Amino acid sequence: MVRRLLALTSGRIAAVILALIALLALLGPLLSPQDPLAGSADILADPGPHHWLGTDYLGRDVLSRLLAGSRLSVLGALQVTVMALLVGVIPGILSVYLGRAFEWVTLRLADTLIALPFLVFAVAVTALLGNGIPQAMLTVGIMVSPLFFRVSRAATLSVARSQYVEAAIIAGASVGWIVRRHVWTKVLPPIAIALAHTAGVGFVVVSSLTFLGIGVRPPAPTWGGILASDLGFLSYRPWAPLLPTALIMATVWACNLLADAIRDVSGEAGRALLDNRKLRGRLAVAGRGA
Amino acid sequence: MSDAALRLTDVRIHDAVGDRDIVHGVSFELTPGKVVGIVGESGSGKTLTCRAVLGILPRHFSVTGGTIELAGRDTSGLTQREWTGLRGTTVGAVFQDPASYLNPSIRIGAQLAEVVRVKKGLTRREARRRALDLLSSVRLREPDLVYRQYPHELSGGMLQRVLIAAAIAADPQLLIADEATTALDVTVQAEILDLLTELRERTGMALIVVSHDLAVVAQLCDEVLVMRDGIVVEQGPTARVLYDPRHDYTRLLIAEHEQYGLDRFRDAAEPALSKELDHVG
Amino acid sequence: MSGAGLGTARLRRAAARTASVAARSIAIFVPVFLVATFVTFALRSLSGLSPAHLQLGESATPESLARIEHEWGLDRPFLTQYLDWFGKVLSGDLGTSWYNGADISRLLTEGAVISLSVAGLALLIGVVFGFGFGILAALRRTTWVDRVITGAMTFISVMPSFVVGIALVAVFAVSLDWLPSAGWVPAERGFGLWLAHITLPAIALSFDTVSDVARQLRAGLVAAYRENYVTGALVRGLGPRRIFFRHVLRNGIGPALTVLGLKFPNLLGGAVVTEAVFGMPGFGQFAAASAQRGDVPAVQGVLVVSIVLVVVFNLLVNLILARLTPASARGV
Repeated sequence: MVRRLLALTSGRIAAVILALIALLALLGPLLSPQDPLAGSADILADPGPHHWLGTDYLGRDVLSRLLAGSRLSVLGALQVTVMALLVGVIPGILSVYLGRAFEWVTLRLADTLIALPFLVFAVAVTALLGNGIPQAMLTVGIMVSPLFFRVSRAATLSVARSQYVEAAIIAGASVGWIVRRHVWTKVLPPIAIALAHTAGVGFVVVSSLTFLGIGVRPPAPTWGGILASDLGFLSYRPWAPLLPTALIMATVWACNLLADAIRDVSGEAGRALLDNRKLRGRLAVAGRGA
Repeated sequence: MSDAALRLTDVRIHDAVGDRDIVHGVSFELTPGKVVGIVGESGSGKTLTCRAVLGILPRHFSVTGGTIELAGRDTSGLTQREWTGLRGTTVGAVFQDPASYLNPSIRIGAQLAEVVRVKKGLTRREARRRALDLLSSVRLREPDLVYRQYPHELSGGMLQRVLIAAAIAADPQLLIADEATTALDVTVQAEILDLLTELRERTGMALIVVSHDLAVVAQLCDEVLVMRDGIVVEQGPTARVLYDPRHDYTRLLIAEHEQYGLDRFRDAAEPALSKELDHVG
Repeated sequence: MSGAGLGTARLRRAAARTASVAARSIAIFVPVFLVATFVTFALRSLSGLSPAHLQLGESATPESLARIEHEWGLDRPFLTQYLDWFGKVLSGDLGTSWYNGADISRLLTEGAVISLSVAGLALLIGVVFGFGFGILAALRRTTWVDRVITGAMTFISVMPSFVVGIALVAVFAVSLDWLPSAGWVPAERGFGLWLAHITLPAIALSFDTVSDVARQLRAGLVAAYRENYVTGALVRGLGPRRIFFRHVLRNGIGPALTVLGLKFPNLLGGAVVTEAVFGMPGFGQFAAASAQRGDVPAVQGVLVVSIVLVVVFNLLVNLILARLTPASARGV
């Protein structure tokens, strides 16, 4: 599947962007030309040989801060996706097998969770669990988990009721073979699509929260924080928000592009998920979060 | 003759995407009260011919040769607005899968009333009366009930009756029944065919019956066209075509139908045949 | 059967349907409401947060801490506190703020007025432009008009609202100086002034509604146009305008309305960020500020109000959907 994905132009673009961002997150602090926290007298400087992207209102190097901020964004996105995956998938699978009552309750719960404004809840939770990005991201993860619930449920349903699995059992295939051959190919693509979308949500939520100044202590560099400080000095450096904006948008866009590419190469399995109108609506919604 | 409800002269239909002709020269004439049948397998061009008569050819398809005259009027230069005026009042149509041809979110009555209000300019109250009349004229047992129902609440046979009611609501001179009975049970199919016959006798409208099923055509039609790959391979009075097929393909169709009890319809066509023969003789 | 009898019977059926849709929408949210509030309450007692930290800061002694907690009734059993709070919520009382002792219901109402006027305008912009673009793209499907609209909608769909907000401020407030960059003026002080202040935030907030509504509507309409009943209406001799409004729009509008219903939580969430960009003392700012201060009752109030708003909005959309496509209400 990976090979077919990379054969698509959109798949390649998405992969390259996301790989770059991941690289930044890993190596960001090493690549930074200067200390992202060190101020200087040279405040609000225009881009130049010393500061490629200029400096902010405390004279800190913007490029270094952007690079250093990427780690937090990527971590946040990872936290959301992992949390959503963990919380969503297991009840999703169980809802097919544990009987009517459990099914009804989980379905209603999933419908409701996905309808709530998760950014408001994320903000609220930081008040209760302590001011930190992980707390907020785990909350968001729970609130978008219905996506994985639906996906894994649909996949389980289609496998549980399919005749080819029955046929394979009758033909004497081993359980491991059936899972590898049939279940896996059905379950994996929709999960991958949901993961890509959720990562996009994660990036938006992290930048939104850091933009608000929630979840981080002030000197720490974040994409959202850089934007927020740029906002105060728009009349001096009106172009300043361009780069952090471009970074955020490119990441979100790459995630959505990847999701679409996976859907394109996975054929029916992926499309079935996206045919759920409500989910698709909320997915589209989630794509830009906020 | 200018009193023909429909006259096709050497009609050709072209597919712009595949850049080829799909229908190669269909000609026939239909006078009021007469029934023409078009038989052929799917892809033979019978449905496209009907769509051309209705002015609803799919995208990329167009009539590139010959003329279609509806009630004496050449349709080649008609504007959208003129077509809209003709449909319903001059030509109506019913199709296979009747459920899909009704709007699922509007009650049956409202859909019928809409047609008569738009096409005949009736008031709301008159339209309601007329819609109820139409429902009983297609032999629906409880018109009041059906009037208030949604399409998904009716059976296939009932829906086809409703569709016929809607098609004849504005008193067209010509009704096209494109595979109108194909998906229905045999008994329901017979009822619908009876209804079409009855309507034709009562209103004097002309009828085109399109089917892949020779039996249907045999039961209803005065004249038959047998189509294959866009070509009319055989055309003539029903009895003659059934008893004395001249083209191999027609013979094949008849042979296939022998086992499905076509004889019954052949017997039904017998008196007509002897009449034909009398004329000849 | 008399016409009058028929009329009342139909009315009664419609009322029953409306009631059942309403009951279902609310029934789903009641347990969530209970769970969400219960969990926030439980988290508070587990985390040991108290107004003492807010008021005394680092200088808190165990005695003063206990005194303040007693004043606020936080030394009572957990369930008593919860039930007490819950009873008050039902009568519209959300308690008082730990931060400044103000009445939370009043603060939230003040904030909600601001946020709802912005969200309302954003919704209006979203509906008008979303429907406009969606319908235009559907009517001109597969032409360049359709491609341009679809492309533009995809582009703006990846722009987070605060990014749009900053761009709007940079262009329309800072560079062109057409509209104020920040702040809020109540409508009583002049309608024009009020509108000028909420226009940019509303546009920023509306982008994603516009793009989603437009795309869903286009898809819905294009799918509806492919349906046989359109051909059916066509051969019955109905005109293109009638076919569009009565047959295509009615059946193709569903996805767009559903998405519109899902938009509302987004507008609330978006409010948190856009209000920060535009310096508006709304619901979102209140939520963010309360969260940062650790003002638990205020945060709980925020959650209560957002759940209620979401329920009400969902209810409205479900009712409209049920009215438009009765088949969907019966799960057909």
